[in-house]
Amino acid sequence: MTLARWLGRAAMAAGYDVKIAEVHGLSQRGGSVEVHVRLGDRVYGPVVSEGDADYVVAMEALEALRAFRYIGGNTVLVVNKRVIQIPGRYLDPEQVYKALQTYKNLRLVPAFDIAMKIGDPIYENSVLLGYLAKLLGVDERVDWLDERNRRAFDEGRRLASGDLQPSASSMAS
Amino acid sequence: MRHLLLGNEAIAYGALSAGVAVAAGYPGTPSSEIIETLLEYRDRFVQWASNEKTAVEIAYGAALAGARALAAMKHVGLNVAADPLHSAAYTGVVGGFLIVTADDPNMWSSQNEQDTRWYGLQSYIPVLEPSDPQEAFKMAKEGLMLSEALEHPVILRSVTRVSHVRAPVVVEPPAPPKFGKFARNVERYVLVPQNARRRKAEVLRRWDSFADLSSRFLSIEGDGEVVVVASGVGYLYAVEALERLRVKAAVVKVGMPVPLPKKLADVGAGEVVVVEEGDPVVEMQLRAMGVKTRGKIDGFFPKIGELTLRSVVEGISKALGLGVRLPDPPTPPLQPPPRPPYLCPGCPHMGTFYAFKIASAGQKVIWSGDIGCYTLGINTGQQDLATHMGSSLGLGMGIAVADREKLVVATVGDSTFYHAALPQLIDLKTKKVPLVLVVMDNEYTAMTGGQPSPSRSVPAERLAEAVGVKHYVIDPADLKRSVEIAKAAVADAKSGEPVVVVSRRPCTLEALRHARRSGFKPPKFYVVADKCRSCGICYNVLKCYAIAKLPDGKAWIDPSLCSGCSMCAQVCPYDAIKPTEPEKVGKWLELWSQA
Repeated sequence: MTLARWLGRAAMAAGYDVKIAEVHGLSQRGGSVEVHVRLGDRVYGPVVSEGDADYVVAMEALEALRAFRYIGGNTVLVVNKRVIQIPGRYLDPEQVYKALQTYKNLRLVPAFDIAMKIGDPIYENSVLLGYLAKLLGVDERVDWLDERNRRAFDEGRRLASGDLQPSASSMAS
Repeated sequence: MRHLLLGNEAIAYGALSAGVAVAAGYPGTPSSEIIETLLEYRDRFVQWASNEKTAVEIAYGAALAGARALAAMKHVGLNVAADPLHSAAYTGVVGGFLIVTADDPNMWSSQNEQDTRWYGLQSYIPVLEPSDPQEAFKMAKEGLMLSEALEHPVILRSVTRVSHVRAPVVVEPPAPPKFGKFARNVERYVLVPQNARRRKAEVLRRWDSFADLSSRFLSIEGDGEVVVVASGVGYLYAVEALERLRVKAAVVKVGMPVPLPKKLADVGAGEVVVVEEGDPVVEMQLRAMGVKTRGKIDGFFPKIGELTLRSVVEGISKALGLGVRLPDPPTPPLQPPPRPPYLCPGCPHMGTFYAFKIASAGQKVIWSGDIGCYTLGINTGQQDLATHMGSSLGLGMGIAVADREKLVVATVGDSTFYHAALPQLIDLKTKKVPLVLVVMDNEYTAMTGGQPSPSRSVPAERLAEAVGVKHYVIDPADLKRSVEIAKAAVADAKSGEPVVVVSRRPCTLEALRHARRSGFKPPKFYVVADKCRSCGICYNVLKCYAIAKLPDGKAWIDPSLCSGCSMCAQVCPYDAIKPTEPEKVGKWLELWSQA
């Protein structure tokens, strides 16, 4: 939701209409949560339709699979390289990544690893935010982020511009 | 100035710009942010009430006294407040009285789908329906002013896709709060039969005039042979669907769906397509006017769930005989297992459920549940029902008197207890129904975002004391003691005595928030792999979300999820679960209990 709000603010500053659809309540209880962001000259419906997304960003790999129904012809699928297991339904992460890699426009981003290097998994979202900012060509000032979040953001941005090679497997496109 | 606002925030700012002075509500997704936003304004009376009936009564009373007032709740909450709602139409009001409900089609976070617009028809109260946050702002403001002008309550019906959509909104600054003075009017306010009958005639007179007034909220865009009538978010989907289908149409946008403007009787000579979210409320009224419609009644659009662009594109296509079907969405290369919500790691409810599971082992138990986080006790098989606020004790008593062979353990959260279980507590005493009522007191309305609950100022055990029901208090993080007391309570109920157990420990999320603010890092627990014998008590019986079962059956605790509650270490029979910083455990549990 924070990520979507940031995107919305940036889009609004750039003069676009925007709608963000959130479903509150269950994310902190381990449930699956989607946030939809639509930008344009005039946005009507609040929800991205199946097969219609330009970008799908998954904070975790199993949810990337769940979000596949939003993927259309040229959708870029950005996935945090991390599996949050579902109790009692353990899946081998490598198998999950392999399945995702069958999709041509996949960007498997080691956001979790970078966040752990910075010191806390909480920074992984800022890595993804930076990555997405670069992909979208948004040049938003991020001085509202604290020092470690900004480091995470910059790492994400560098990853997206190819300064830092992500794992070879994630380059399949 | 444009702000990126949630629909609910926009509603609050709309009411503020209309000079709302009194606002009350009860939290419930997707409505909670309305009151949360208003609470920031200290120059007005804003309150979380103990339930929706109280909230509506406070606002209604204030409006009788001439103040501008608002009550906010989710759709099901209006059922609780339905009694004063109907009377409010009979007496009318003096100040503005806006009742805001947020409906939850698709039941993202609710036990049923309900369309609040029916309440408008039933209670003779006009209903406004915005399509997006900007309109929500406008209609909240206009609704409150209109109510005051008409001296009649007005309902603002939102849905998830308005309340929880964030969009640019131009807001106006808050107007000073308008309080009032109560003026006696016995003939109008005392609804004894002879007064009520006169008021009913007045209500009907008013209703007739509202049907003309409703045209003010009507607009027509575009033209073409096809006519689409759309209400609320239905309008947004309809415009987009027509664009996709490349169909030129006149789109009639309805802003006040109840009552419909009379002039809609000649909206179209042929079949009119109706797009609305919820039940066919607009469509039925159109049919009653003699308009031929194609909408939900005949199944052109689904009767369940939210509208989607897909359902509206395909519905319009079917209604117009275009034969357009959208391609099926892509399927994932690997089907992910469902991810149902769980109690948070370290949730006090986890300890309470564990204690009662152990204490009632071997007994035939009916777990009479309720609405709140603890409904997630479904994951450990400890919720046999959860139908509405207060179902735990209400239905639990009915089951206990009908089926005397089983033991009823009713589980209710603190907020729900104060909301909907107090009259039942009195029946529990007067009828002496033998069951165990567990008040799972985490001191917050946790499911809706941690609003305060009355539990600190009115502890549940004091109410039990006053009513004269036997009661115990436990700390669910102390499992040994909790199991002992749970056993005693079960024995009481088996011997025919009603009993209340108050299980008290603040919500984990709140405790972690407090810790973060104070700079305290809670300890984590980990599994000593050599000692773990794969018994599974931690991940199967306690069922902590942070504990994974590894392929070899051993337990593994995800450090990024562990909250340091120590419950898993307490249940482990092999002493295989240890804290990273043992000296911190006691301190943490102490700090936690003060959160």
